[in-house]
Amino acid sequence: MKDEPITLLLFICASFSIIILFLMLVFVAREGTLALSQFGPNFLIGQTWDTNANLYGALPLIYGSIMVVAGALAFAIPLGVGTAIFVSEVLPFSVRDIVKSIIELLASVPSVIYGFIGMIMLVPAVAYLFGLNSGATALTASILLSIMSVPTIVGVSGEVISAVPKEYKEAALGLGATKWQTIKHVVLPISKSGILASVMLGLGRAIGETIAVLMVVGNVARIPTPFWNLLAPVYPITSVIAIQMAEAAVGSLEYSALFGLGLVLFIITFLVNTLADVVVKGKVGRREVSAWVGKMARR
Amino acid sequence: MGRKNGETLIFVSLGVPTAICLAAFAWIAGSLFTGIGTLNPALLTTSVLQGGYFEMIMGTIYLLLGAAAIAGPIGLFASIYLVEYARPGKITAIIDQSINNLAGVPSIVIGLFGYTFFSKQLGLGVSLAAGWLTLTLMMLPIVIRGSEESLRMVPGAFKEAALALGATKWKAVSSTSVSGAAPGIVTSVILGMARVAGETAAIIAVSCVLITRGLPKSPLEPVMALSYNLFVRIIALGESAQEVFGIALILFAIVTSFAIFGIVLRTYYRRKQPWLR
Repeated sequence: MKDEPITLLLFICASFSIIILFLMLVFVAREGTLALSQFGPNFLIGQTWDTNANLYGALPLIYGSIMVVAGALAFAIPLGVGTAIFVSEVLPFSVRDIVKSIIELLASVPSVIYGFIGMIMLVPAVAYLFGLNSGATALTASILLSIMSVPTIVGVSGEVISAVPKEYKEAALGLGATKWQTIKHVVLPISKSGILASVMLGLGRAIGETIAVLMVVGNVARIPTPFWNLLAPVYPITSVIAIQMAEAAVGSLEYSALFGLGLVLFIITFLVNTLADVVVKGKVGRREVSAWVGKMARR
Repeated sequence: MGRKNGETLIFVSLGVPTAICLAAFAWIAGSLFTGIGTLNPALLTTSVLQGGYFEMIMGTIYLLLGAAAIAGPIGLFASIYLVEYARPGKITAIIDQSINNLAGVPSIVIGLFGYTFFSKQLGLGVSLAAGWLTLTLMMLPIVIRGSEESLRMVPGAFKEAALALGATKWKAVSSTSVSGAAPGIVTSVILGMARVAGETAAIIAVSCVLITRGLPKSPLEPVMALSYNLFVRIIALGESAQEVFGIALILFAIVTSFAIFGIVLRTYYRRKQPWLR
């Protein structure tokens, strides 16, 4: 059968994502060139980010992002994977959909609302618990971010766990295994790669989260002392872009530095997301992961 | 018996994370609804110039509808291609991967791109139109994946019957698969709208201003939005929680009702595929 003209239109629409990703890389990189060429590798490893001195070394910001995200994953992985197992394997069918839907609602709460709630409830709570002057710290952002990443982890791992063929489970149960033994020795090993992918997707979302984080993280562009001090304020990459974009003059070095940060963020999330896909290639649940990625919240 | 009790203990402790997730949602909804007393319904239709919320609410709705009008058709066509036309191979794999990668781009980077490309390069400035295009990029993966799922659920037999009767491929696909999947496609657009309704980072520099005199008269004018106003009033203007509680509550109510509507519709149609009866 010969192709109809409409096929070309359909193909162009399908290729839209590729075109946009390419344009994004080109345009963000173009605006960042000034800062990247002026500072070279020091843009990534320089320790001073100071607008007044026109010095743009992003190390404290990159470190801030890593700290907040690592903290968030420490909470979100047990929370998310535990919930996924419980919802897909333990909960009775009748309530499963309702619980899943509520968790999906958690993903649709706008980040500015998370930030608002975090500011009025979580920040004072952290200040009180740890006796700090200000509760706006890396830890506060981590806690908030973990709640925000959970729906991605639960959504993707849940789908993967549910995709484990029923025959496998029945075979184990038939051999006399208990329900937990079946989960532990059959379901989890099969869905391992899918669960790993879900964590990486959660990581990708967490790195990119902007508004909620900047509202509770304190925004101080300095590596905390000691460097593992989660109770110090930090200034993650995303917060810097969102806050300084409003004041940076178009074409200035500061403006270019912000796009340089954007480029760093684009490359990191691109790699993390691609890796998540590679991890599950050819494994059980590949289609489930793929289907869910598009649906989950981007932060 | 001992083993059984041990298992129960494991399952109960596995329930704790689930309980935390549910409690988190209850906590967010609960703490917002404690502020319901501060919200005077008359303010919903009062202009911001008189201390109301009208232009903000309408601005958010304008942004949403425009983005849905662009992302809906593009997403639908893309999903039709992927389900009905794409042959397995390298190009299809790259398209598939890039949809996932687009879904993973942080909203702040989408915002940077929107500003340099739509606002500056295409000359749209800080405008409603630039906001539509930027939000389209965020909605697109959600619409494509949702529509794909619904298209795959329609049995191929209908299409084959149409083809056997001499219909062209496009005629067969559009009259059987697409019409069969229509409710699911609409649902995916609604869920996409729920996802971008509260978006802030992407539109900060692209389409919003703190205050406008009336509603935008053309797509090239800037617009007010609930999310942007909430953010700027707290962060830049340092207003207290009490002053912005109303905005937060309205935004939450709009986004959550969109999401609930979408989820309920999706569940309903998944269960009620006419050909599965």
